[in-house]
Amino acid sequence: MPELGRAALVVTLGLAVYALLAGAAAARLGRRRLAQSAQNALIAAFFTTAIASVVLVAALLRHDFSFTYVARTTSEALPTPYTISAFWGGQEGSLLLWLLVLTGFGAAAVRLNRRWARDLIVWVVPVFAAVATFFSFLVVAVASPFVTQAAPPDGAGMTPSLQNPYMLAHPPLLYLGYVGLTVPFAFALGALLSGRLDERWLIATRRWTLFAWTALGIGQLLGAHWAYVEVGWGGYYAWDPVENAALMPWLVATAFLHSVMIQEKRGMLRVWNVLLVILAFSLSLFGTFLTRSGVVNSIHSFTQSSIGPWFLAFIGLTVAVSLALVFWRLPQLRSPTKLESPISREAAFLYNNLLLLALCLAILWGVVYPMLSEAIRGEAVVLGRSYYDFFLRAFGLPLLLLMGIGPLIAWRRASLRSLATTFRWPTLVGLGAGVVLLVLGAGSSLPGLVAYTFSAFVFATIVMEFVRGTRARKALGAASWPGAFSSLMARNRRRYGGYVVHASIVLLAIGVAGSSAFDSVAEAKLSQGQSLAISGYTLVYKSLDERQSANATEIRATLGVSRESDDLGTLEAGKNAYTIEEQVSNEVGIRSDKLTGEDLFVIAEQIYPDGSVIFRVFVKPLVNLIWLAGLVFLLGSLVTLWPDRREQRRLVARAGEVGLPATR
Amino acid sequence: MARKASPARLVIALSVAAVLAVFLLYTSIAGGGNPSIAPSALQGRTGDVQLAGRVVGPVSGDAHSGGLRFRLEDIGGTARSRVAVRYTGSVPDLFKAGRHIVIDGRLRNGVFVAEPGSMITKCPSKYAPKQSGDSV
Amino acid sequence: MTIALLLAAALAVACVIVVALPFLSEPDPETDALDELDEDERRRLALLESRDRALSALKELEFDHRTGTITDDDYRGQVGRLRREAAAALQALGPDIRPQRVEAPDEQGRPMGGRT
Repeated sequence: MPELGRAALVVTLGLAVYALLAGAAAARLGRRRLAQSAQNALIAAFFTTAIASVVLVAALLRHDFSFTYVARTTSEALPTPYTISAFWGGQEGSLLLWLLVLTGFGAAAVRLNRRWARDLIVWVVPVFAAVATFFSFLVVAVASPFVTQAAPPDGAGMTPSLQNPYMLAHPPLLYLGYVGLTVPFAFALGALLSGRLDERWLIATRRWTLFAWTALGIGQLLGAHWAYVEVGWGGYYAWDPVENAALMPWLVATAFLHSVMIQEKRGMLRVWNVLLVILAFSLSLFGTFLTRSGVVNSIHSFTQSSIGPWFLAFIGLTVAVSLALVFWRLPQLRSPTKLESPISREAAFLYNNLLLLALCLAILWGVVYPMLSEAIRGEAVVLGRSYYDFFLRAFGLPLLLLMGIGPLIAWRRASLRSLATTFRWPTLVGLGAGVVLLVLGAGSSLPGLVAYTFSAFVFATIVMEFVRGTRARKALGAASWPGAFSSLMARNRRRYGGYVVHASIVLLAIGVAGSSAFDSVAEAKLSQGQSLAISGYTLVYKSLDERQSANATEIRATLGVSRESDDLGTLEAGKNAYTIEEQVSNEVGIRSDKLTGEDLFVIAEQIYPDGSVIFRVFVKPLVNLIWLAGLVFLLGSLVTLWPDRREQRRLVARAGEVGLPATR
Repeated sequence: MARKASPARLVIALSVAAVLAVFLLYTSIAGGGNPSIAPSALQGRTGDVQLAGRVVGPVSGDAHSGGLRFRLEDIGGTARSRVAVRYTGSVPDLFKAGRHIVIDGRLRNGVFVAEPGSMITKCPSKYAPKQSGDSV
Repeated sequence: MTIALLLAAALAVACVIVVALPFLSEPDPETDALDELDEDERRRLALLESRDRALSALKELEFDHRTGTITDDDYRGQVGRLRREAAAALQALGPDIRPQRVEAPDEQGRPMGGRT
């Protein structure tokens, strides 16, 4: 069967090359049937990649260790869900997943837009095909998942820390995000190549971008949650290069989602938007490169393989070609509309873009600095956590504040008087909250206090917007308050869905500020019966137990938790020793307080033969707001993504007036 | 109504300048980071560095009292590059002889004394040995 | 092994057919030219976009005013200009289109522009 997989991938490569060449020729020469043929090739490439994927998954499920990849990433005893997840767990399989999602999205995007944007699609097909050619070349010639060997009796197994539900969902979601950014990129290049610089490329890709951005965001949160509960060092984000690799394109995509609104409303920033989408895609490729090439010291590095130079070359080519296209079309992209006032919604969105990009570039600099300093000075210099924290605060806090200001400023020009009226109430709320928090002791961390104050301000603006909007709808004749609210949401999905997303970012900011600026830590070596006190909690080390599970020996220390005189139950922390993989993993104990969102986080650092244990205990205030923020973020994105019938009708009518087909 | 030069442009330019100023501010306060070097390059270096290498046993001692002792050698290097390391603080799960780790600290009296809790181990999935008889 | 090779060969053949399909189904078409928008249509599309933009800006101004985000003064300052822009956009589209509403569309949200 590996021959089938290998052959399917070779066919995919052939289809991709054909789609690239035939598609480009068809677009250049204006040949309808050739264009259709190229489209078919792109769609067929998805099916052949799917066949290759099925072959790999089948081999995994069969525990067919004659596939080198299967032997390297799984073992007989591995539970089935994790066996399936080994598909994306290793280098070659993850590249195949990239290709699968890429061809899938390409086929769907092209098919959905094939009629109303036909003159645009003819150029989008070869761009997609070019990216598909690269990835299919990699899986055919450089990192094939279908390499075979003499089958060993058992596989090497999967790293225990990867065997949990978060790791099932984290990589696929990230891939949906990374690859999803290819769609707006391909349409942007298609628009540049075809000269069709009207808004259709934006409209066609708006939901794709939103979807990719949401997937990337949720994927990162899942990764952070995994790091928090599984790796268990007490944190959720380490500014590791591979973590940053996902954050950077997400930040740029956030900027893009905002500046696109300016182009829609005012026709401005067309060059900027194209550049942003090129940057987002390039960063997504760069992130993939970082994860695989072993170029940076990271706990995630897949392997120091030969794949790095190929990625670097492809990124270089992509950036060069894209920039050349932008330069070529610059005269047509320029719009006559000018920014009228530095105090306007356009300006607020521009500041937002500036800050997001500045943060992204600061992170990028931190990531490439070791490589650059090694190339220039012969020695890799690594920038530490304090570097990233500084810039997160320097740019993130103003961004937080802007989130409350932007939606409430008028377009074009806002008078200072109207600003004073609009922001009076939220400013009072913010200042009031700040004073209360100061009294409660939040002055111990200035950035934390500022984050809280800004969050209160932004939250007040969001509540105000919802209240005012609902009241306005009620005044227009809605039957009831809930009715007014739901019709408000239905008619203004983007705006109010956006507000929900902003609310989730506020929750995230509060959670991050609380758990990083106001946390406490204590460490002690305890014998049975001894206790440890931290932030009002008292923990008593009660007993030590050992038990056997399917593939590991589990040692657990039980601690009794109490606060003041309330008994809060028990907590277990310890270690698992995995037999086949010969590895030990930390199993932390977490007690989440439902009311305050605070976590009591216990690590059994070291367990001695005499039964004494070194415990490291954290108290992390408000940390659970971070995970709650993820749910709210998802909700907000869903509202914004939801199809809007009215908008659809409008677009169809507009297309009809120009003679474009009414159906997509 | 025609304007001579939009004030907005000026404000945007000033904003960009402000952002750059933040960068400059940081570099003037904090300076650069730690050089990341291999154990073989450690000889004679003073000051904080980050060592990246492979753990060589025997591993002895206790990281929470007295210090965990082991040796670190160059990745793909020889025994000549070995450096003695004394580490205190949290030991990551994946730590054992043969692992690649990264650790901050400085050289003191011939022993690399690590910054407590600074050890990072690398995910071992890269260490799958190539099997003989592979067919491509 | 042979089954795998047979399947692979079948796959390759199927793909060739799929790719050749447009040529096989239309061996002798009337026209093979890509249906593209010509200059006029593209210009019209651009005008339609600016019309929709102007109308939507007006609608948003009304909404912001109604919810109280924009004060009366700011509203009065902006609404005149936006209405003029919308009217100009509609006029640029030419006299052959159906009569549109120039005043701000109300919250009932009837599709702006397009066929009635």
